[in-house]
Amino acid sequence: MIRDAGRRLFGALESSLVPAASRFPADAATAAGRIGRLRRLLSRRWPTTAEVRDLFPGLSVRAAARVASAVADLEARNRLLVACVRRAGPAPIRSLVRSGEGLAALRPPLLLATFHAGAWNALGPALERLDRPVLVLRESLLYAPAPPVEVAVTGGDEQRRAAAFQRALVALERGAFVVAALDMPAAPGVRTRCLGHSLELARGPLALARLSGAAMVPVVARWRRRGIDVTAGPVIARASALRSDSGRERGQAADPAGWEAGLAAGVAEWLEAYLLASPEELGLGLLRELLKSPAAGR
Amino acid sequence: MTGPMPRKTPLDAAVRDLIRTRAPAAAGDAPLPDDLPLGASGLGLDSIAVVELLLDCERRFGVPRPVELLDGPPLTVGRLVKHLRAETGS
Repeated sequence: MIRDAGRRLFGALESSLVPAASRFPADAATAAGRIGRLRRLLSRRWPTTAEVRDLFPGLSVRAAARVASAVADLEARNRLLVACVRRAGPAPIRSLVRSGEGLAALRPPLLLATFHAGAWNALGPALERLDRPVLVLRESLLYAPAPPVEVAVTGGDEQRRAAAFQRALVALERGAFVVAALDMPAAPGVRTRCLGHSLELARGPLALARLSGAAMVPVVARWRRRGIDVTAGPVIARASALRSDSGRERGQAADPAGWEAGLAAGVAEWLEAYLLASPEELGLGLLRELLKSPAAGR
Repeated sequence: MTGPMPRKTPLDAAVRDLIRTRAPAAAGDAPLPDDLPLGASGLGLDSIAVVELLLDCERRFGVPRPVELLDGPPLTVGRLVKHLRAETGS
C-alpha cells in the first residue's frame, strides 16, 4: 500500500513537469532526473545497489549506489521525454538533440542498432538529419517523423511483421538506413550472453543483416551538458568464435541460425563493453531484463 | 479465400517445392491447397521465413517481391502462385 502510494506520488510529480517540458525541456529533464534520484533514495529500489553490483561486480558498493542513482535519474528523464512527445510532439526534444560527427559520416546501406540505454527515445531527431532515406522499425508509432525518416510498425500479427521486414530489406537494397532496437524484443529472438546474464536479441535485424549483407552499427544517445548527444559506434563484427560460416552473400549463409548467433554475440560483446565503460547509461528496463536470468561464470 | 486454380502447371509445382523447403509442416507429398495461408494460421512460417520464401521465388523465377504482396489478407499458396504467374506470364 505504501509502495502504491509512493508510485502514485512520484507519477504525479513527473506528470507535473510535462507542461513545462514543452517549453523548457532541458530544465524539466534535470528536475525529472532529481525526482528519479529521490524516488530511488526513498524506495531503495529502482534499481537497488545489489542489482547494479550483480551486473557490474567490479564496482564497489559506493560506486554501485552512484550508478543506481544515475540509472534512476535516466529512467525519470526518459519517461518525461516520452510524456512530453505524446503531449506536444517531437519539437521540444529536437531542440535538445546534437548529432555527433560520426553520424554524418555514416554511409548506407546500414543497419543502425539501438538499445534501451541512454536517451534512446531521443534518437529520432538525429535520424531526421541524415541525408539518406531512413526506415525505423518500431512496435508502435510514438510520433510521425519528418522526412527522410519513415516508420514501419512491427506490432501486430506475423503477416504485418513480415510486411515490415520486407520493407526493411527492400530499403537496404535501395541504399537506405534501417534502424531497429536489438534488445527487449517483442517476439522470441536469439539468446546470447551479456554482463554475465542471458540476453535475448531481436532476430529480425540479425536476419536483415544476413540477407542484405549490410553492416550493423550501434547508435546511442547520451544526456550531456543540458542536451542529448547522439553518436555512432564501430561496425559490429560477428563474434570470432562463430565466424566459421563466411557466407555473407545475400541469403546464402549455409547455417543461417549460426550466422545470426555469431552476429548476436558480436552485438552483445559491443553492448557489454559500452555498459562496462558507462554503466550509468543502462536503462532500467534492460537492467531488469538482464537480471531475469541468473548470473553465470563470466 | 481463393478457389482452386484451373490446372496445375510446372510453375505451380516449382512454387510448392520451394514452399516445402521452407515449411517443415509441408514436407512430403501432402497437397498444398491454394487457400492454405503461409503464415501462422496455415503452414506456420514466421515473418522472416515468409520473406525468405519470396527471396527464393525471386531467385528462382526472376520476379520482384512487391511489398504489397504482404499487405491485406494473409498470403496464401494460391495468391503467391497467382502473383508469380502474372509476373512470369506462365
